[in-house]
Amino acid sequence: MSPRAGTIALVAALGFVAFAAAYLKRSDVYLLTLYCVYLMATMGLNLTVGYAGQMSLGQAAFFGIGAYHAAILLKLGWPFFVVLPGAAVACFVVGLALGFPALRVQHHYLAFATLGFNVLVYLVMRNEEKITGGTYGISAIPRPTVLGFDLGGHLAYFYFTLASLVALGLLLWWLLRSPWGRAFAALRDNPIRAESLGVNITAYTLLAFAIGAACAGVGGVYFASLVEFIEPGPFHFSTSLTMLLAVIVGGSGRFFGPAIGTAIIVLLPELLRGSSAPWLKFMQTWYLAVFGVAVVALMVWLPGGLLSIPERFKRKGAAR
Amino acid sequence: MLPLGWQRRGDSRKRGGTPMTAHPSFLEVKEVQKHYGAIRAVDGVSLSVGPGEIVGVIGPNGSGKTTLFNSILGQIKPTSGRVEFCGEDITGMSPLELSRRGVGRTFQTLQVFGKLSVRDNMIVAAQEFKGTLPGRLFAAPDAGLGHHADEMIELFRLKHAAHLPAGSLSYGQQKLIDIAMAFMPAPRLVLLDEPCAGVNPSLVDQLRELLVELNKTQGGSFVVIEHNMDFIMKLCPHVICMVEGKVLAEGPPKEVQSNRQVLEAYLGN
Repeated sequence: MSPRAGTIALVAALGFVAFAAAYLKRSDVYLLTLYCVYLMATMGLNLTVGYAGQMSLGQAAFFGIGAYHAAILLKLGWPFFVVLPGAAVACFVVGLALGFPALRVQHHYLAFATLGFNVLVYLVMRNEEKITGGTYGISAIPRPTVLGFDLGGHLAYFYFTLASLVALGLLLWWLLRSPWGRAFAALRDNPIRAESLGVNITAYTLLAFAIGAACAGVGGVYFASLVEFIEPGPFHFSTSLTMLLAVIVGGSGRFFGPAIGTAIIVLLPELLRGSSAPWLKFMQTWYLAVFGVAVVALMVWLPGGLLSIPERFKRKGAAR
Repeated sequence: MLPLGWQRRGDSRKRGGTPMTAHPSFLEVKEVQKHYGAIRAVDGVSLSVGPGEIVGVIGPNGSGKTTLFNSILGQIKPTSGRVEFCGEDITGMSPLELSRRGVGRTFQTLQVFGKLSVRDNMIVAAQEFKGTLPGRLFAAPDAGLGHHADEMIELFRLKHAAHLPAGSLSYGQQKLIDIAMAFMPAPRLVLLDEPCAGVNPSLVDQLRELLVELNKTQGGSFVVIEHNMDFIMKLCPHVICMVEGKVLAEGPPKEVQSNRQVLEAYLGN
C-alpha cells in the first residue's frame, strides 16, 4: 500500500469509528475510549522499546503518575489544559530521573530496574493515603470542559479523547520522521556504531525513555477523567506487562503496531465476553488460555508481531 | 566532489576550540601498550600519520592491529602510552568525543543499521554533526543531508539500493555502505579495519579507487588495516608491519614487502 493510500485508509477508518460511535451502546463507547487511552501509553512504550530498543516494564507507573496528578489537580479545580501538559512534563522529568541510573544497564537488567520502579510507585500510591487516598483511591474526578463545551457525556469525551489520540499520534509521527527518530533507530540497531558516528547514545536513550514516559502520563490524565475514580490497581506492574505485550503482539518498532496490539489486549476480551454467538462460548471460558497459547505461537513464528505478516508473505513470494 | 560535510566539520571544530593549524603529525601514537594479564596484545607501538597521508597496517592474525585501533579509538583503554590528535591528548577518549573531533572508523565486522534504508544509513552517519540536539528535532527529516547522501550513494554505486533496508543487501554491498558511512561526515582521520574483507575481488580495485578519490576530495588521513597485500601496496605510500604486538618494519610498501623479517613472520622460517 502506498503512503497516500495508507493515509486515506487511516482517515476513512477514523471517520468510520467516529461515525459508528454515535450508534454504539454507552458501554461500547466507554470501551473505545479506554482503548484510545491505553493506546496513548502503548504508543509511548513503542517509542522506548520498539524504536529506541530499551526494555521497559515501568510504563504503568508513568500511566499512574499521570492519572494521580490529574485526579488531584482536577479535583482542586485546575483547568484540564494546565493539568495535561503538567502531567506530561512531570512524567518526562521522572523518566529522565529514572533513566540516568537505570539506563546504565541494558536489556533484562533494565527491565528489572524499571519493574522495580513500577513496584515502588505502586506502593507509594497504595500507602501514601493522605495524597493518593490509598486503596480507597480518589473519586469524583471531573471531566473537562473545553472552550465552553462540557465533555461530561460519554460520547463527547470519546470524541475528545480520539482527537487527542490523533494529535499525539501525529506528534510521534513527526518525531520519528525527524533526525531524532533516525538516531533512535540507529541506537536500537547498533549502539556501538552509532556512537562512533557521533550519536550521543546516553542523551537519545534518555530522551526516548522520557518521551515514552510522557505519553503514558498523558494517557493517565485521560484515564482518570474517563473512569472518574482511581485506585492503585490499574497501575500495578502487571499492567506494564500487558502494555509491553500489546506493543510486541502488534509489532514493536512499527508505528501502527500498538494500535493492533492494544485492540487485542483491550477490545478483544470484551468483545468475546459480550458476544452471544454459540461458537464463542468456548472462547469466553477459555479466553486467557487461548490467548496465552496464541502469544507463545506468535513469538515463535512471528516475532515481528502481527504487522510483520505482509512482509513475511512478501519475503516468501520473493524467495519463490 | 567536495561533500558538504567537509565545510561543516571545519566550522564545528572552530567552535570546539581545537586548533585548525596543520601539525607535522596529525595522529601521533606514542609507546601504546595494551595488556590482557600476561598477554601483550599491543607492546609499545609508536606511529605517526601526517595530514592527508594514507598509512597501511599489515601483520598476521593476532598481531594486535585491531587492538591498536581500538586503543586509539577509545573502544578499549590502553594500559599505557599516549595518543595525540592534532596535538591534543586523546588517550582513552570515548568514541563519541573522538567522532566530534573528526575521527571516524570502520569495524572489522559489518556495522550497518540493518533496518534503516541505505540512504538513512548515510544521513544518520552525518546528521549529528549538524546543529544542536534540540535543533535537530525541528530540522528537515533528511537533516539537510539528502543531497550529500545521494552523492555518496552514487559514488559507491549503490543508487539501485538507496531505499532498501541495508540489512537486506549482500555482505559486499553492506561493507561498501559501512565504509561510505564513515566518510559521510568528512572526517579528518579515518581508521579502516579490513575494508576488503568479504568484498568481491572484482570490487576491490573499485574500492581502492574510491578511497583514493575520497582522500583527494575530503583531504583526510587514513589508516588502513588489511590482509589483501595487493590492495594495501597500491593504496598506501607508507606501510607498517606488526607482529606479536610490536612494529616489526615500516616504510614504503616495496621495502616492507621485501623485508626478510616480515616474510618470515608471514611465511615462517
